[in-house]
Parts: sequence; C-alpha cells; structure tokens
Amino acid sequence: MQKPYKLKPHLCRFMKLYPLDAPEIPKALFEAEQNTPDLSAFPLPLPSLKKDYACSAEGAGGVLWYGAKTGLTRYDPDAERDIDKVMYFSADRDLADNNVKALLADGNNIWVLTDTAVSHIEMKMVDAEEKALILLRESLKYVSRRGMMSQKGLAVPRDLDSIYPYGESDNDGCFTAGFAMAEMFRYATYKREKGESHPDTVEARAVATRAVEACLLLMYIPGRGDGFTARTYLAPDEPVPDGCFFRKEGGKAVCLDKPDARRKGLANVEVNASAEIPERLAKLYREAGVPDDGIVYKSDTSSDEMTLHYLYMNFAYDILVPGDPELGELLKNAVTANMNHIIDHDFTLCDATGKPTTWSKWNTAYFETSTGWADAALNSAEILMYLKVAMKITGEQGRWKEAHDLLLEKGYAELTLKHMNRFYHMNCLQNLNIRDDLMFGDHMLAVAAFWGLIILEDDEEYKKIYREGFKTWRATLEPEHNPGYDFPYILACPDDELNMERIADWFYRNNASRLAAGVSAMGRHDVAVKELRGGGKETSWLLPPDECFISKYDRNPLEYRNEDSGGTRCVESCYVYTFAYWVGRYFGLIE
Amino acid sequence: MDNKIHLIANAHLDPIWLWRWQEGCAEVLQTFRSALDRIKEYPYFIFTCSSASYYRWVEEIDPGMFEEIKQRVKEGRWVPVGGWNVQADCNMPSGESFARQALYSQLYYHKNFGITCQTGYCVDSFGHNGNLPQLLAKGGMFNYVMMRPSVQENPDMPQNTFWWEGTDGSRVLVYRIPTSYAETGIFNLDKKTAFLEERIDKTGHDMALFYGFGNHGGGPSRGDIEFLKSISMREGRAALEFSSPDDYFTDILNTMVDMPVWKDELQHHASGCYSSTSLVKQLNRKAENLLEAAEKFSTIAAVTAGGAPKTAEFEEAYNDVCFNQFHDILCGCSIREAYDDVRDSMGKAMTIGDRAYNAAILQIARRIDTWLPGVSDPVCTEVRHYSHNPDFPRPVVVFNPLSWDIEVPVRTLRGSGEVKGPDGEEALCQHVRSSRSNDSHQDTVFLAKVPAMGYATYWLTDNNSDEEMFTVDSSKPLILENEHIKAEFDEKTGGIKNLVNKEDGRDFAEGGILALPTVIRDEEADTWAHGIFKFHDIKGAMALESIERIEDGPVREAIRIRHKFNESYLEQEFILGKGQKTLRVRCKAMWQEDFTMLKMPFDIGGAEETSTYEIPGGFIKRPCNGEEEPAQRWADITTLDGAGRRGGLAVINDSKYSYDCPETNLRLTMLRNVIFSDHFSFRPGTGFNFTDEGLQRFEYGVYLHTGEVEASDVAREAAQFNIRPAVVPESYHKGAGEPLKKSFFFVDSPNVCVNALKFCEDGSGDIVARIYETKGVPVKAMIKCDMVSAAFWADFQRNEIKTFRIDKDGFAREVNFLEGIV
Repeated sequence: MQKPYKLKPHLCRFMKLYPLDAPEIPKALFEAEQNTPDLSAFPLPLPSLKKDYACSAEGAGGVLWYGAKTGLTRYDPDAERDIDKVMYFSADRDLADNNVKALLADGNNIWVLTDTAVSHIEMKMVDAEEKALILLRESLKYVSRRGMMSQKGLAVPRDLDSIYPYGESDNDGCFTAGFAMAEMFRYATYKREKGESHPDTVEARAVATRAVEACLLLMYIPGRGDGFTARTYLAPDEPVPDGCFFRKEGGKAVCLDKPDARRKGLANVEVNASAEIPERLAKLYREAGVPDDGIVYKSDTSSDEMTLHYLYMNFAYDILVPGDPELGELLKNAVTANMNHIIDHDFTLCDATGKPTTWSKWNTAYFETSTGWADAALNSAEILMYLKVAMKITGEQGRWKEAHDLLLEKGYAELTLKHMNRFYHMNCLQNLNIRDDLMFGDHMLAVAAFWGLIILEDDEEYKKIYREGFKTWRATLEPEHNPGYDFPYILACPDDELNMERIADWFYRNNASRLAAGVSAMGRHDVAVKELRGGGKETSWLLPPDECFISKYDRNPLEYRNEDSGGTRCVESCYVYTFAYWVGRYFGLIE
Repeated sequence: MDNKIHLIANAHLDPIWLWRWQEGCAEVLQTFRSALDRIKEYPYFIFTCSSASYYRWVEEIDPGMFEEIKQRVKEGRWVPVGGWNVQADCNMPSGESFARQALYSQLYYHKNFGITCQTGYCVDSFGHNGNLPQLLAKGGMFNYVMMRPSVQENPDMPQNTFWWEGTDGSRVLVYRIPTSYAETGIFNLDKKTAFLEERIDKTGHDMALFYGFGNHGGGPSRGDIEFLKSISMREGRAALEFSSPDDYFTDILNTMVDMPVWKDELQHHASGCYSSTSLVKQLNRKAENLLEAAEKFSTIAAVTAGGAPKTAEFEEAYNDVCFNQFHDILCGCSIREAYDDVRDSMGKAMTIGDRAYNAAILQIARRIDTWLPGVSDPVCTEVRHYSHNPDFPRPVVVFNPLSWDIEVPVRTLRGSGEVKGPDGEEALCQHVRSSRSNDSHQDTVFLAKVPAMGYATYWLTDNNSDEEMFTVDSSKPLILENEHIKAEFDEKTGGIKNLVNKEDGRDFAEGGILALPTVIRDEEADTWAHGIFKFHDIKGAMALESIERIEDGPVREAIRIRHKFNESYLEQEFILGKGQKTLRVRCKAMWQEDFTMLKMPFDIGGAEETSTYEIPGGFIKRPCNGEEEPAQRWADITTLDGAGRRGGLAVINDSKYSYDCPETNLRLTMLRNVIFSDHFSFRPGTGFNFTDEGLQRFEYGVYLHTGEVEASDVAREAAQFNIRPAVVPESYHKGAGEPLKKSFFFVDSPNVCVNALKFCEDGSGDIVARIYETKGVPVKAMIKCDMVSAAFWADFQRNEIKTFRIDKDGFAREVNFLEGIV
C-alpha cells in the first residue's frame, strides 16, 4: 500500500489585472530600465524563444523574471522541485496579452507591463488544504446553482462580478456528484481529526449534505414516478438551450420543441410529472424562489450521470446516513425506483417515448452493436456496481441479486476485462490512435465504476477480475498523473504503485481559482507537439495544471490547446481539485 | 457460412539463401514478371509482395516492368506489404535498424506507389522480439503476418489471429499463418482450404490462405489460380476470395470478434541461428554502432561546422545493412559464398560511415581553438612537420557519440609522458603494449572525461625515450580491482574465483568458479538447430594453458588467460579500468572444433532467479529454463543470495546475440561451428565448410549490480561498451574559437538514450532525434540541443521510443519513424 505523502505549503500564483492608467501601478514599472537578458547559457528549456526575451527583473531570493513577446518566465535556480525551476505565465490567464514590455519585481511578486494592461502576479505559499478551501469558497460563491456544481458563465471574461445567475450543464449530476463526494470526505476527515462538533466539521457536513441533496433532487425532479433521473433542471424563467428539455406544468411535462429533441423523437412528447418531490429536496429550489410549475428538466440522461450518482450514493450511505435517517430513506427510495426502472427496461434507462436514452444502455443487445461492443467493458462494470450499491443501500438482495447473478451468468464480469482489446480494435478499424478516439470523460466513469465495484465485491475471485479490468484502463490513465484517478485506482488495486512525486506536482501546481481564461500552451518552445494518427495533437509532456487549460474530469490534459474547456467566460467547479485532495486525505494517501 | 477464406497470392523470395544475391535478384525479376502476367490473365487475381529492396532492383534493372507494377498497385491488384527492406530477422537488428527498415522502405513505397504499407510481413523469420509491435506501429504498420514458430514449437501462443501487445503496450493485429506461406498444387490447396474452414468454425472469423511457389520465388501458377477460382463458391462451404493481407485485416476488424491477446514475444524456432556464423553477426553490430556514431557527428558537423548533410550517403549505407538483416543472411544459415558478398556490402556501408565520421569530427575539431600562445607559433612555423617532440603538448580531441557524459580509458597509438585535460587538469595515463613492433611498442591509455554527444580536447606530451615505460609486477596476486569490482582469478583453472560487487560486498563466485570456457557438443542439430532448443551436452571444459598479468597501471590493469581444447585456443584479456563498472574481456579464439558451440558460463548461485535480455529498443524477462535465447548487447542473471542481497551479473557483448540460462547459470554463446546451410543434417562425404572455423576476435564484459538489472546502468554500460569514443590527433589552430570541450546534445534522465541524430529525409534541414526509455519506468526527460536552439521536455512511458523532428528555430514535433513526411 502506498505510504502517505506529506504535502507541504507551496507557491501558488494569484493574478490581478490593472488597466494601464490604474493608480495602483507603481510608476517605476514604466520607468524601469529594461535590459535584454543573456540567456545563451540558460540551463533549462525556456517556454519562449530565447530571441523573444526582451526584459528581465530580479526578485527576492535570487528569482529571475524574464519577459518575452510570448509571455513571462520565472526562473528560480534554487527551487526545490524541478518543475518549479522554470514557470510560465501567459495570456489570458496570467496576462492580458503576451507581449511583455517591462517588469518590476516586488519581493516575491512581479508587476508586468504588456501591450494592453498591467498584471500584478503574487506568488504566495499556500498549503494544499488551504487551496482546497479557497477553491471551495469560490465554487460556493460563484458556481453553485441551487446546490448543483458544474460551472457558471460570465458576461465579461475574467470578471466574476459579471456572473450570470443561471447556466446549466449537460452533466450537472455527474459533476455535482464529484463535488459531493469531495465534501463528504472532507466532513469525514474533519470528523475523525477534529471531532463531530467542531465548527469546521459541522460546516463540512452541511456543505456535503446540500450537495448530496442537489444530486438526489435530479433523481426525483422529473416526477415521472418511474425512477427516471434528470440530467439537470432549470428555473422556469431561465433560458433553455438546445437539447431534450421537458417543462413541468400541472402534473404533466412536455418536451420542448428543440432540434435535438426533434432528432430524438421527443419533441412535444408528454409524460407524467405528478410524482411528489420530497419537501427536503424541493427546498433547494423553493427557497430560491423557484416555483414547481414551469420547472424545465433535461432528459436523455446518460450512463455518465448514473454512474456518478451511484458512487456518491454509496459514500453518502456510509458517511452521512448514520446521522441522518431521513437522507437514508431518500437514498433508498431513489435507488429502488431507479434500479427497478433499469431492470424493468431490460437494463436501460428509458425516456418518455419508452426507448432507451442515447447512452444509458447496459444490456447485451446494446453490446452487440458496433458502439456498444466497445462500450461493453465499461458498461458492464457500471451496471454491476449499481446493483451492488442498490443491495447495500436498500439492505435487500432479492431482485437486485437476481439481476446481478443474471448478468454474471451472461459473462458481465469477464466483459469488464475487454476494454482495451475492444477499444484498440475499434481504433484500428478507424485508423486512429487510442488517444485520438478516447472519450476522456470515460476515465472518470471507469474510475467510479471499478472503484465502487471492487470495494463492494466480497468474492475474491470476482474482485480479482475487476482489478484486472480496472488495470486495462491504466495505460491511458497513468500519463495524466491525476490523483483524482490515481487515488481510487491504488485503493482498488493496492498491489500497484503510484508516482507520488508527479502527483505532488499536480497538487502543488493547481491554481487556487477555477476562473477560466485560457493559456498560451500552443507555440511554447519547451513543448514538442505530438501528432496522433487521427490528426489530434498532444503536448510532449504533461504541463503543470497552472500552465494548462482548465477542464473537468472530461478532457485529455495532454491535448495541445489554449482554450479552457468551458471557454473564457466561465468559472468552473472546484471538484477537480477537492475530490482528489479529500479522497487522498480521507484514505491516508496524503497528509 | 458467412466467413470466408482470403486467398493471398505471394511468392516467398529469399534474396540470399542457398544461392548468392545475384541469383536472388534474377529470381525477383522473373517472379515479378510472372505475377504481372497472371494479373493480366485473371481479372480477379491480386498479388502480394514484400521487401522494398526487391522493388529497387526492378526499378533499376527493368524500369518498364516497374511502371507496370506502379499501375497495378494503383489498381489495387498488386499489394506491397512489409514496409521494410526485407523480411528481416526480428531478433538481432537493433531498435534503430528497425526504424531504418521502415523509414527508407516506407518512404520509398510512398514516393513510387503513393502508399505506405499497412501490414508488416515476415512469414519466414524465425522469431519475433517482444518490442516488435512498437517498432511496427511506429513504422506505420498496425498488422503483422508471421508463421514461425509453429504450433509444435510454441503451443502456448495464440493460433490464427490475435492481438500482440509489446513491452511498451503497443499492439498489432497478427495473423499467424496456420498452414504455410507457400501452398501450391490442386490436392494440397483443396486440403488446406478444408483445414482453414475448420479454423473458421472454431474462431468465428475469416482465415487466409497464402498460396504460390516460394523460397526461390515463383508465385502462383495458372493451375493454382484456376483451381481456387473454381472452388471459390461451393455451396455450404466458406467462400474463397482473392484478396490481400490488408483486406484480410480490415475484414477481421469489421467482424467484432474478441481476439486473444498475447503479451510476450513470439519464440522459438531456430535457436541455433543466433550464434551461427559469427562473421555476419559481428558485421551487423559493427555497422550499426559505426553508423549511429558517424551519423550523429555528421549531423552535428553539418549544423555547426558547415559540413554538407549526408542524408543520401547514410541511406545508402543503411540500405546495405538493412538488406543484410534478411533472416537467412543474419541468421547465418545461408551458403558460405554468400557471406563473401555480405562482407563486401557491409564493408561498403562501413566505409561510407567511416568517411562521413572522419570528415565530421575533423570539421568539428578544426573549429576548436587549440592555439597555445608561445608554443604554437614556433611549432607551426619551424617544426610543424615534426610531431614527435617531448617539449610541447599536442592536442588530441576525443569525441563521445553517447548522450551522457563519460569517463573512460582512451587509447592513442603513441607513447606519451603526460596527459592534461581541457581545463588543464592532469589526466591519469599509462603506457600499454602496442600492436606494432615498430618504434617504442608503446601506446598511451588515458582516462578521458567527455561530455554527452560532444568532445573534449586533451594535451599529450610525447615521450621519445626508448625505455619501456610500462612495468608489470608479475608477483602481484591475480586480482583486478577498482572502485566497483574485485575479480580474483584461479591459477589452476583460469576462471574467476572471486567476483565481488563492492557496492554491497556480494561475491558472485561464492558457489563456484566463473568464466570457464565450455565446449558444447552440437552434432545433432542443423545450422538452424531445428527442433533443438537447448545446448547442454558438454563435450569438455577448456584447459588452462597460461595465465599472466600484462598491465598494471593507474588507468587500468589486465590479466591474460589462455585456454586450450584440442587444437583450438581461446585467449582472454581481462581489463579493468579505473572507475569502470564493466570488466572488459578482449577475446581471441582460434577455433577448429567441428560441430561445437563455445559457451562462457557465469553461475552466480542464489535463489529467486530472473534472467533478463536486451531486445531491440527494450528488454524482456524470460524463464531460467536453459533454452537458447536471442539477445542483443546484454543479458543478465539476478538472484537473491544467502545474505538477502538481491543483485546480478550482466554479460555484455560487442558482437554476439545468443545466451542461455539454466537456472542461475548465465552463459554467453561465443560461437557455433556447424556446417553452412545444413538443413536436414544429411552430410554425405567430407570437406564441408563450417560457420565459425578459424580466427575470431570479439569482446565481452561483466557488469555487476545491486537490485534488479533494469534499474541499473546496464543499458548505458552496454551502449558504452559497443560505441567507443573516437580519437582525433589534432594540431594547433585558432579554428572558429570553439572551446576545448563541448556538448551538442544532452538528455538529463538516466532512463533515456539517444540512438539517432540525423537530418530529416525530406531535405528540409530539420534534424531528427530518436530517444528511448531503457529502464521500464515512466520518466520526464529534458532534451537539449543548443546547436539548433532546442530545449524541451518529454514524458516517456515504459520502454517508449520517441522520435523528435526539430526545425531551425528549435521547435520540436514528435513524429513516428517516418519523420512526419507521410
């Protein structure tokens, strides 16, 4: 088993942008003599071309700052970690633009004059837990949408004050579940370390409970009475994008006439919406002034959503339910309804037309299609995990065990081993590299499905199979060095090893904000561009998170790109960091 | 039955085997003509042919026919496969050689036919190394057709079609031909189609029938084609379809059947062929080593010293080397006469390399400022012609082709009294006996520190004294010892009776004497050793004839041991240099024992044994079961001793490819002396020529390590053992003011090695660097090449080979072996 790794306080960058005429800017910045640095013997790769560096400044502790036409470089020859010796700061996340014209050191910090603005970059020591809490506060303040935690749009790039009050994500359930698990593990950690009644513990429990309630509400909000789960929901007055959205009114719900809904045969279809929403969950929107009538929920729910729902429910049952029997009942009812729905519909989640949603299919008929054949390994693990969670939460075996055993008879356990074989097979058929074709969001699903399945499986033979199945994902998971994947992996497969130094780099180099803006990774001189067979491009090394685009657990972090996955007008959920951190803390992998 | 049998028309062509290459060339022309005629006669007929070398012959000798082929390729009637020069042996060429096989051949196919081959094709090669999936995929091939070993030889391997996963995780889809690559004759074809139908029933997917006269070419006859057509649509039977390997694999992929996955190498078929005919093995290794070093410095010289890129010259040289890696050539199982041709063409390749190397290092050296104020002026104006003068130091520039800094003994062919380094520091030096009898009989060996892929200038002051400057204290015990190793020799046997790794104190000879040359009886096997996988029948141990200390100085010590067996002898000079981690053994053997194999055993004892072998671009672990195993520059045995110390002994070599390891006894196969091209062991009369008779010169080394071998420095030690520094005697000049030492290319991680630095084949002037991970551990490495202002990072996964293409501004792209050209 991996020994706990001690994370120390580490430098973290904070940037504030000023217009060129802002009074806060020291005049010395405009008057400072700018000398072209001599970098001819520079010992390490530089992000910009040497000839593009035009100014420099020396900060505290012998740290050198170099300004170039293509961004700012910080050089600390004495940095403890290699990855920190050379840091790169670029537009739009750290600078307004990349043409650095003048620099003025300010202790550990730097004033940076570029064509269009001045950046003040502060380098502060922040410890890993403090970073998690800063990120949490940002998400609670800006990202939360009645407890759901995905992202929010901004009217003005990088201006948090311009945040839109609304905004939906296709995967609100999935992302909020990630957030909820992080907060449950935070609560459990505090409870263990500080005691149940400590204010931090109490606060953590409240945040975790609200997140779980927000997730659970998605399982109730359609009101169809058949266990169907929504992807997300909107208040009546919020703008509705393209997609399969149902507006609830008078105990019915009608699918809005949108292009995607028309394509899927759902437009104008009417379904039952009369099932009651439990008061405890309905409070989430009612207290925000949202009436029941007119609520719009999104259907065509995918296995992505369901998988994360089942995993958080498993941990909620362990962590929150012992002190909250009402929550236990809500979980039990939700699981029962949803699991019955899936079993009743031949292991699919069916939408209003009675046909399976696009991606929620776990039956052998789907596995025999060309798409399903490659998905079968992951989907088998998912459905087996759901059934294990259902047995645990409901405390019943009955129908769940019957279904579970039926799937085992059909070879579902063995199917979990076939991911790489089938995936590779399909890639070859399309003349692609596996990294060309991989849906990187599947990484989170695989982690969730196998982690849940392995911890819930008692039979050592099956556990061994599932571990092998999990390992078939390792070839593409490992290069990400993402503790959000690596920690569940090592907990499920303790015979393997992790590169904890690379993981520490990940924690240290994550920013303390999820404010999207984009970076200038493309064109970096210290990065080779890798061309994949299908035309995709990757960086030759895994950029530190603070120099890489921002995404959730759904993108290839090696992708050669500048744009954050949510665009420049966006603030993202903190769960990418907090999930990894609190899983690590709770299970003793980091301290 | 929905599935079908793909009919793959081919003509297996051995360009050299029981004939010389001239006959092979003629055979290619005849076979190609025949195939084109069949294409004309039968509108459904498709012909498949591998090996770019054959197409090159046709292009040169019969341009008209070449144009016909181009047209047929365009029509899809002629399908080139196997994007290599030849169907190479797949164990002995280096990783870089496989890259070159693909590079030059795939670009040739692309230039002439507008395609690159999708399918690797080695239907007759005798074994397939565990890194081949990566080497194929990075050469643009994701399918592979092979046949050997047969099911009888390796029943564990999947039959028919399977995914083959290599040591780095790369995969190719493999068709293991279950019949033969050259089926012909009506009755036989009928029988084989029935056999393949059974396989279809078992597997649920298509099968392929490879038909046509082969080995000496030929291809499908009219009778075969017409017969197959006539039975192609039999009711209730599998349909037969005239097809190609590419189409076969596409159909397989469309089938959505779970194929078995094989995560090991594909061995063994001809276990004797990795040691037969040492000449061709030595030529191959020597050429690979030379071309790597020469091309690196040729590229550096062209970028930094105004030399012209020699892309075409290196292509010519590599094409010769790649051709001679054909399985029947490199495996030593062709006729004796063929090896005269091989020697000449490898000589040509090496001459190209030598000339380019010499020009390059002189171009670089002449730019160094070697001017010594107050010394150089009078020398240059008055006594320039007189280079032997004890009054002033003369510069010698040492070049290091490896991508890490080295500190090694370097030899110059003259006695010197004093040696100083580039920073004025004294360098350890000593005199050693020269190979000449002229002059003083003395050469100089000094300890040189040379930066990665760079040079260092040393100053040597002559010693013109006639007095012998080296002395040997013959009364000293027969021990060689430095900071890392202590080796004590046994006066009675000439073996090593103590071999201590000074890092942890373990004595690897605790269980018995090591390195006693052993003669193995090898009378039953043919040249390939068909059906024989172990060589354990000991004919006798060689007897000690003499043992003496021959060198005794601060840079190195040496002990010479001579063993005898009948009229044959083996002379070994064990040399241990200061600071060196490898005990070097220079061997001279005069071999006259027919039907024998000579092995050098190292039984280190202990428990939990693991044997590990270098394979092209990586390494592999194999059971210690005593089977003869192919390997490249090193093999290792690691065990746990009684004191709980885990460690091992690696045997490095400069020209060998075969080892075995019965339990804890790692044995280097030094030579194998059997009849040339002796296929069935039917040996009428006498007067045969033998593969390894006569004088042999080669070297091996012994490297000790603590822990697992892959975590040690063995990969670097083996590279250092094979690729030695080049030494240029220089003169005084101001040159271009270049410093006395310099590195041109550097990687910071001990896990990665640079094994190629070259110009891109498209003439863009971009340079290409090939770098691979050696320890099986993911690593982030810094790659720095100041001469093109390039410095970047790269993550390497386990055993991953990466190719970087760097433009004039130092921006890098990661490409495959085809350099981003296609």
